[in-house]
Amino acid sequence: MTGTKGARPRRLGRLISTLVLALICGLTLLPILLTFLYSFFPMSEMKAFLDTRNNYDQARFMNVLLAPSIVSLRQYYDLLIDKPIYLQLFMNSVKYTLAILLGQVLFIPTLAYALSRFRFRGRETLFFLVLMLMLLPFQVTMAPSVLTMRTLGLMNTAWAVILPMMFAPFYIFLMRQFMVGIPSEMIEAGLMDGADTVRSFFHVVLPISRPILGAAVALSFADAWNMVEQPLIYLASTQNQMPLSVMFNSLSSSEQGVIFASAALYIMPALLIYSYFQEDILLGIQLSDMK
Amino acid sequence: MFAKKKSLWLFLLPGLTGLMVFHLVPFIGGIYFSLTDGTVHNRLVWFENYRRVWGNAAFRQGLGNSLELSLLSTPLIFLFSFVLALMLKTLRERSLPYRNILLMPYLVPSSALLIIWMVIFDYGGIVNRLVAALGLERVMWLESGALRVPIILLYVWKNVGFSVVIFSAALQSVPDEYYEFAMLEGAGPVRQARSITLPLILPTAFLVFVLAWVNAFKIFKEVYFIGGAYPRDEVYTLQHFMNNRFAKLEYQDVTTAAYSFALIVLVFFAMLYARKGVRGVDRH
Repeated sequence: MTGTKGARPRRLGRLISTLVLALICGLTLLPILLTFLYSFFPMSEMKAFLDTRNNYDQARFMNVLLAPSIVSLRQYYDLLIDKPIYLQLFMNSVKYTLAILLGQVLFIPTLAYALSRFRFRGRETLFFLVLMLMLLPFQVTMAPSVLTMRTLGLMNTAWAVILPMMFAPFYIFLMRQFMVGIPSEMIEAGLMDGADTVRSFFHVVLPISRPILGAAVALSFADAWNMVEQPLIYLASTQNQMPLSVMFNSLSSSEQGVIFASAALYIMPALLIYSYFQEDILLGIQLSDMK
Repeated sequence: MFAKKKSLWLFLLPGLTGLMVFHLVPFIGGIYFSLTDGTVHNRLVWFENYRRVWGNAAFRQGLGNSLELSLLSTPLIFLFSFVLALMLKTLRERSLPYRNILLMPYLVPSSALLIIWMVIFDYGGIVNRLVAALGLERVMWLESGALRVPIILLYVWKNVGFSVVIFSAALQSVPDEYYEFAMLEGAGPVRQARSITLPLILPTAFLVFVLAWVNAFKIFKEVYFIGGAYPRDEVYTLQHFMNNRFAKLEYQDVTTAAYSFALIVLVFFAMLYARKGVRGVDRH
């Protein structure tokens, strides 16, 4: 600590920071909070509220709705019991996300291990390609990918959405950056001559990589749960196989009474995943080589 | 570092196979695709496709808009996340709840937020109430070129937290003594940020910038949510052009547009990689 000289500006700085951060965090939370709040409004009230949109009368505003006339679970009941299509789309999202995460857990840490702890010809080239692929948007390889899927007979099946995401370059990069930073002594210590690479992977590298694994699972969940581009292309002719993320666009006009509950239900798993893995995300990124 | 191990294949092969089939082969195949005429003969036409696509007004519109959206949102994310990370640092351990909240939107599906966004930015919505309260003319956020604003805000809202976390991680590695010394020498907070923080976290800053830029190029989801497949001209992105051409089965155009685009992205990537090369990729 410095003397009194630096203390006052520092305290002032802290105060300003707290105020600004509180304000920004409030704004950040606002859309999520409002979505949840509106999901407990009666359907008719919500419908009436949404019908006041697109009114260009200079003298009129939409009401600022902050409390329902009566707290109602009707929106949720309607979605979960009366409208099986919603649950079906929701379960599609669950199915794709789980399959993608499972595949990533199987394939990505091993590949990252090979890229970070082994020396072989072409390693740098391969890493270069991974980096490059990670930076390109999905549309770049869209047409040839469709040809690939067609050749493999996977178009309009769930696999077309799942398989490419299982090998998503960004997560290969993320895991590799973490594993590169594990000190060699840690991996080689405790292993006999002719070190057993398989044992070192399972008993040293994976346990140490726990934070980045958690971070990757959470971030990848967010990607898969919110995916739009891939299903639009790969599942174009099988509407009932779409994940819910693609359908909000059309739901928002056709199902006005229940739209907020459907949004809230879709946000909830993401919030659960986030609260479970949030320490891992912070720690994993902190320990990775992000330069 | 393991050299010449048979077990390498055990780790490398499964992942590499998938990466090849679903990412690398389509990428390389696409190059060939963009140079042929797409008929049954698959004649090589070299740069004919590129000439046609670059002559297409919709393509240029889409490319221009994609560039513009990324040029607007990248500096926003970069500056905003840097300042927020600096503020978080002054709060030390008490900063955790704020950081957790800032990162939250990155995990929340933006598709589900579409509806509340439309309500907030409606002509009679909260934002316009504020605008009117300030004595200004209300804005048609969703019905005019101003649509860029809600789109960029949705994008920034979702992505700024991730950059904050990367910045925060880098800031933690700067020793406190530097600041204490600077403070004794009478350097204010701005001077400290410029003379100590920025140089020390420059490599990270560069990564944040490139990632933010390249990701901003990918803004499509947000536009698709709000504007659909055929949004207003001002927010018609390159990805819309590709998707719509794709729907018309004009694969050659899609791929050619894609590689024109890829080339631009890869120039930024080359910058990143050249830097890495100078510093040495393999430090082990």
